Amino acid sequence: MEEVEMTTAIDTTQTVVAAPFAASSDHALPDTSVVLKLRNVDAFYGPRRVVRDISLDIARNAITAIIGPSGSGKSTLLRCIDRMHEVVPHARATGLIEYRGIDLYDRRIDPAAVRRSIGMVFQQPNPFPTMSIFDNVAAPARFNGLIQGRNGASDLVEQCLKRAALWDEVKDKLRQSGTSLSGGQQQRLCIARALAMAPDVLLMDEPCSALDPIATLQIEQLMVELKASYTILIVTHNMQQAARVSDRTAFLTMGEDGAGYLVEEGPTGRIFTQPRERLTEDYISGRFG
Amino acid sequence: MVAEYQTLLKPTSRSRRLQANLVVILATVATLIALVPLVAVASYVISQGAGVINLDFLTQDPPGDLSATGGGIRNAITGTLEMAGVATLIAAPIGILVAIFNTEVGGRIGAASRFIIDVLAALPSIVVGIFVYALVVVAQGHFSGFAGSLALAIIMLPVIVVSTEEMFRLLPRPISEGARALGFTRWRTYLSVFIPTALSGIFTGLLLAVSRAVGETAPLIFTSLGNNFFSTDMNEPMQALPLLIYRNALNSAFPAARDRAMGAALTLVAIVLAFNLLGRWLVSRRRLARNPGR
Repeated sequence: MEEVEMTTAIDTTQTVVAAPFAASSDHALPDTSVVLKLRNVDAFYGPRRVVRDISLDIARNAITAIIGPSGSGKSTLLRCIDRMHEVVPHARATGLIEYRGIDLYDRRIDPAAVRRSIGMVFQQPNPFPTMSIFDNVAAPARFNGLIQGRNGASDLVEQCLKRAALWDEVKDKLRQSGTSLSGGQQQRLCIARALAMAPDVLLMDEPCSALDPIATLQIEQLMVELKASYTILIVTHNMQQAARVSDRTAFLTMGEDGAGYLVEEGPTGRIFTQPRERLTEDYISGRFG
Repeated sequence: MVAEYQTLLKPTSRSRRLQANLVVILATVATLIALVPLVAVASYVISQGAGVINLDFLTQDPPGDLSATGGGIRNAITGTLEMAGVATLIAAPIGILVAIFNTEVGGRIGAASRFIIDVLAALPSIVVGIFVYALVVVAQGHFSGFAGSLALAIIMLPVIVVSTEEMFRLLPRPISEGARALGFTRWRTYLSVFIPTALSGIFTGLLLAVSRAVGETAPLIFTSLGNNFFSTDMNEPMQALPLLIYRNALNSAFPAARDRAMGAALTLVAIVLAFNLLGRWLVSRRRLARNPGR
């Protein structure tokens, strides 16, 4: 039922909103090098603007890091992409966010369908406390009609836990509670849970900030492996992390009006060695922020 | 800096210490005063009722004439449990759905709903009894156990709503955001994540509501009326422990009626206590569940 819903939500839009891509195959989304196109995105909490006029292209099968000081709107920008920003009361976003040519804020788009294609991993590991490790991965996929029956679930759970580099550690205790794992394991469980939805884009909001250095390293290696199949956006406070894992980096800072804006974006190597903007240079060299 | 250090070294003044002690003493005295009626009631009910209760008392029905000796309170125990059970079946699903509504719906409509629940909680129970009398008993033309259940359900509803709502609000936001970010609908989020996570808390609220309902007399006087005979038919008038206590205590000039009232009172206290202990046990189990060992 929900699968049908999801497909129709995107299909109708494809024919109506994404007319230029009508020539592409029936169900596959257009294969574009730019997966997400942001134009003049503003985000608000009530009357307060927290993100101002951000335009950005996100490349396919790459890791894009969003860095910047606290309050620069990094997380909010990320949450605008999978329409999680609006879950907070009185929060809204304006501007254009296109996902493979589809306007995600079109009236006909179901936000739940957007979130099924664009997965999210949060700062705090948040496995469902009453579900077992197995169900944490299987339940979301089952509710969204991606799997039927017991065997399909077992295969999917094993496959996703392997992709999230957690399988060997949990394969003998799949029936235990997800919250019985360590913080780093919980975060990988949340990544496995997101992968079970077969998303195209993975948004990661400071996924390592609650983890120790070893767990952080494991997640970083995982991200590099995952980028062959997914487009990844990561918000991070850790500039070394951005330098280590990302292909492109976007630097945001807070303007005098209290809203975050994009200072510059480019290949990570260039941003860290030859930033074009003074603000970027000051930030990455630790002079402010 | 040096000055502050010296302040720390200075002994606390006598009046300061006296003040602190005075508060402790007053609090202790107040607690003791509050305990007096509680202990007095409990010990009186136990001393008067314990001698009455035996197997026959719990398994036989009362004699037709309440001044006669012998018989028991079986019909009142089954009636109380049956009416409370049906009342729970009515009030629990409605209460949980109202709690979901109150948690999800903000603005004026949500505020109005929460206000109505507060008013319902403050409604005198006799008013609830009269309301159900007018609504069901008059319409049907006879008293019934079902009318009693409905009255008890109205008493239980606000207790269930408030406690369930509280449980939903206590759920950590990352958990609900995690569900929403996976494309769960709101309904699915409640069914698969919120309700299971809050389940023991919701159940505790239910038990509190039940223990309140089984002690109510006023809502039953005009609805289930009472019945001298054993009956499990919800369409017939039904006996309940508070009603039996009320009728027999009114005739306490007869020793048999007085003893029966006391035995029934102790039985009722024991039932309420059992529900409360069960509720507390569930709460402590939930605390353990939150911090499971590795």
